[in-house]
Amino acid sequence: MPKLEKKDLRKSWLNWAMFHLSSMSFEKLEAHGFAHSMIPIAKKLYKNDPEEHRKALERHSVFYNVEPQVGSVINGITASMEEEKANGKEIDDEVFVSVKTSMMGPLSGIGDSTIQGILIPVLLSIAMAISAGGNPLGVLLYMVGYVTIAAGLSYFLYMRGYQLGVSSIDTIVGEGSERLRDAFNILGIIVIGGLAASFVSLSTPLEIPNGEESLVLQETLDSFFPGFLGLLAVIFSWYLISKRRISATKILLILIGISVVGVLLGIF
Amino acid sequence: MDVVLMIQALLIGIFCYLGSVSSPWLLGVTGGYYTIGRPLVAGLIVGLILGDVTTGIILGVAVQAAFIATISTGGTQNQEITYAAYGGIALGILAGASSGVTVTLAVGIGVLGLFLHNLMMVLNSGWNRRAEKAAKQGSARGIINNNGIYPQIVNFLLRVLPVGLAVYLGEGFVTSFLNFVPDKVTHMMDVLGGLLPALGIALLMNLLIREKTHFIFFVTGFVFIVFLSDSMISLTVFALLIAYIIYLATNNFTPAPNSDDEVI
Repeated sequence: MPKLEKKDLRKSWLNWAMFHLSSMSFEKLEAHGFAHSMIPIAKKLYKNDPEEHRKALERHSVFYNVEPQVGSVINGITASMEEEKANGKEIDDEVFVSVKTSMMGPLSGIGDSTIQGILIPVLLSIAMAISAGGNPLGVLLYMVGYVTIAAGLSYFLYMRGYQLGVSSIDTIVGEGSERLRDAFNILGIIVIGGLAASFVSLSTPLEIPNGEESLVLQETLDSFFPGFLGLLAVIFSWYLISKRRISATKILLILIGISVVGVLLGIF
Repeated sequence: MDVVLMIQALLIGIFCYLGSVSSPWLLGVTGGYYTIGRPLVAGLIVGLILGDVTTGIILGVAVQAAFIATISTGGTQNQEITYAAYGGIALGILAGASSGVTVTLAVGIGVLGLFLHNLMMVLNSGWNRRAEKAAKQGSARGIINNNGIYPQIVNFLLRVLPVGLAVYLGEGFVTSFLNFVPDKVTHMMDVLGGLLPALGIALLMNLLIREKTHFIFFVTGFVFIVFLSDSMISLTVFALLIAYIIYLATNNFTPAPNSDDEVI
């Protein structure tokens, strides 16, 4: 009865944590990072069966792409499935592939919105506020805080995935988690609204002649809605991306164009 | 030949490699891309290497603001943030440039860096093919080499050489260029620096906003910061409360169809 030990799982997690994107390409992305993570598992479970060992490496070398820090739970689940298979349970290669592919979408959704959309921006803006004058404390806070949270989460999720095995899939992609994900999404959207207000800055030196005195447009804008021009800039960029499907690189060029023309015309 | 600058340029190149998205050595993206790779952290590291920590951090904060919400999903991105951070901040410190100018330098280098990043992604297809073959033959060693080792040699060269050379050769060039540039152009760079976060935030909105009504929450966050408090911590606590209320509300709502079934 081949049984995975804690040290095999740790090796597998570490391989994933390090090498997930090591040979990333447009066609296979994290495929071989996943295979790399399954090497200690296959070695332990199929050490007396070279053909099954070979098959295990092959079935885990197919296209794969997930948010790597949250996605480690799939590696844990796969490890427990491999253990069941090695102990005689009938599991086809296609089952492994479909478990991985059906989970990578929802998990990337959760991972990208919570880590890239909430955790990193919030930690960064706190750190930036502390470090604005050149104080290194904020930077150190970000480094220690982020690594502790993200590495801890990735390790915890791998081990949890292994413990619960296939039964954890429902908890992750089921209806309950969808509600949780939607709620997290709302949290993320509110936070990026705040980020937009803190970090987008646009102002105009324009003055409108008003009888004897002239009216400074920016002061008027600030008096009823501070940051209004910045908000317009965000909505404009978002409109171009989501409604007109214009690529980010092209929008960058458009923003450069707006800065150049705006300054030449004296609007900004 | 300036030996000190050469060593500094080399070190900056090496950190740019360690912070790259595919570098494995600091727990992959966790300690690499998302930590060492952030412009804020790059500011501290480049400042330490060049002996001016305060300027490094100040410029790091400025470049970080422009890239506050830079996201990369599924291997696609609009800029290569580590090239931008390490190349831009290093040249900014060496040339004594302002924040706005440093941000523009970083953006320029980031666009060039994206070509090199994409080149690496294309070259990796070659290693992928060899790794596939190794998997078919059941060779774990072959997968380790073609996933973990060989692609990293290419990645190392594609980072250390261009960034090191740009820092080593670019210093004098950028300084004389800046002396030559009229104030109006510097002002354009400042305006651009203020506008750039709009693009990153728009990309995040595209990721998170799935329904039209979600836009209300975006405006809520904006209005909170503008009118109530400029603290991101208090906004996050507020957002957590709202999210929890919404979670509870949807929770109570879902069983409704079942009771309808019973009536029928």
